[in-house]
Amino acid sequence: MSEPPKIFVIVGETGSGKSTLLKLILRMLIPDGGTILYKGRDIFKLNREGVRWYRREVQAVFQDPYESFNPIRRVDTYLYDTAKFLLNIGKSIEAIPIIDEVLRFVGLDLERIKGKSIKEFSGGELQRVSIARAILSRPRLLVADEPVSMLDASLRVSVLNTFKEIRDKLGSSIIYVTHDLSTAYYIGDEIAVLYRGVLVEKGPMDVVYSEPLHPYTKMLLDSILEPDIRIKERIKPVKLSSIEISEFLAPGCKFANRCPYVKPICSSKEPPSIDIDRRTVSCWLYIK
Amino acid sequence: MTPLYTQINSVGSSILVAENIDGGYIVPDRRLFIHAVDNVSFTLEGNEVLGIAGESGCGKSTLAKIVYGVIEPPLIVRRGRVLIDVGNRNLIDILSSDRETIRREIMWKTLSYIPQNSMNVLNPMKRIRDHFIETLKFHGIEVSKKDVVNYTREVFNSVGLPIDATNAYPHQLSGGMRQRVVIALALMLKPRVVLADEPTTAVDVVTQLGILSFLKEWQKETKCSMIVISHDMGVHAYMDNRIAIMYAGNIVEYGDAEKVFTDPLHPYTKLLIESLIKKGEKSIKKGILGSPPNLANPPPGCRFHPRCPYAMDICRKEEPLETRIGNNYRVKCWLYSNSRR
Repeated sequence: MSEPPKIFVIVGETGSGKSTLLKLILRMLIPDGGTILYKGRDIFKLNREGVRWYRREVQAVFQDPYESFNPIRRVDTYLYDTAKFLLNIGKSIEAIPIIDEVLRFVGLDLERIKGKSIKEFSGGELQRVSIARAILSRPRLLVADEPVSMLDASLRVSVLNTFKEIRDKLGSSIIYVTHDLSTAYYIGDEIAVLYRGVLVEKGPMDVVYSEPLHPYTKMLLDSILEPDIRIKERIKPVKLSSIEISEFLAPGCKFANRCPYVKPICSSKEPPSIDIDRRTVSCWLYIK
Repeated sequence: MTPLYTQINSVGSSILVAENIDGGYIVPDRRLFIHAVDNVSFTLEGNEVLGIAGESGCGKSTLAKIVYGVIEPPLIVRRGRVLIDVGNRNLIDILSSDRETIRREIMWKTLSYIPQNSMNVLNPMKRIRDHFIETLKFHGIEVSKKDVVNYTREVFNSVGLPIDATNAYPHQLSGGMRQRVVIALALMLKPRVVLADEPTTAVDVVTQLGILSFLKEWQKETKCSMIVISHDMGVHAYMDNRIAIMYAGNIVEYGDAEKVFTDPLHPYTKLLIESLIKKGEKSIKKGILGSPPNLANPPPGCRFHPRCPYAMDICRKEEPLETRIGNNYRVKCWLYSNSRR
């Protein structure tokens, strides 16, 4: 991600491994194999100073703002602490202008949050505070795990717009994890689709959205219930199947059991990933 | 509080009528009353799906509890009636009948409730099949084991559950599967009214569509009526014939779903519909400024006025009247009120 800043969306249903992937990126889990390179450096082989650098560069916003903050601590102390540990600004007087600036960026200001605990905020405001905290160190990469799924519809859009502003005005790239495909399209530049822990398709948002290649991506896109009254006629009802648990352990393609285009090879051998038309897809359908 | 809503005169062909329901939660040691449902009325006709939409904390689940008659402290109902047709135009008021009659005669047989987080309502000590058998026994229906097995096979098949699940204990199934078991249970006695409170929270899009299309199919087949409560406007667009939009304890707009989605009148509905993100949309959207009010201390006048771009003086002072527009369409806003000054 060294090109212009981008919003990279990772989409998957519950249990598809998207949160585990984020934890790995944030160094909260250690992988059994493989490496994660950030600016050419292996993030699991950083020294003490390297970890501090990595924390400054990569910051996170989590799903439930009420769980990200300690309920008996004042919310503004988190901002002062971040300034102290990541930017070496120990004196709160010096930190005030920087903190106020990031709060204004997300549509709040220091006056409004001073001395308050989480109970005095609405979900939308609190999520803004946690975004402000994350961008305090001007990270080059912001990782967001379903940051709007706990918010009400009327507040959701403005938080999403804040992420777009972070990309455009601060020039940070964002990895945005969600299960909601409509918001994914609204916010994202690129998309990766996970299914049962496997990346099935990846590419620019517009291409994947208009002509999905992998059968799973197709099925996902066809199942979105849009807030549009005309979907009544448009949507085809689906039959539910009862295979869930066995899929993680299945050899071959994990989607084979549900796939309408299944071939004999699918359930025995894992499909390789191939590049077609600016994107990557893992499916036997496209292997000649 | 002003009693503003005009009485429903005729019950007509309605299968369920909720009249002027007013209820909320008491917090005794802090002398607070959280006024979650404020003077709400609606009717449910036969063979229709009525949606109740609103953001979290707007009172929609409280309304569901009251309609189902599960009124346990701290929830209290101060006013209102819920009339349900138990057959042959025989109307019973759920709120004033005694619990035993409701449990035996109304629950499950006439009115079924699919609760929110329905995956956590099964008895962990009982096998799935025993849940089915006991429900039948409680309602005095004598059936052979074979019939139960046949029913479960049929319905499990259509909701995508393996037939082996009947012998499983609830903890052996995934959350999504348990949810579908509860739905199968709720529909077993062929109720006339199904009340589904967020039937598809916490499932992925494919399963969500599967469950909803099953419910819809079933509703069409049995010609029962359904109340769907959800915060997700996509669910409403797919399911509803009519829709009620709730905001801070009030129904602010009520009527034909197509009209509400395409040409909403109330400013809240307008902004809400505009803020929704549809598939394949990239243009910058605006959210609604501010946040929903605290129901322990709601703003005076119209409860939406602090966030409303059209707020007038009267909105800050007096609660708006419900204005009827044509047949069976209501909006609670001063902009449409004839008596506005």
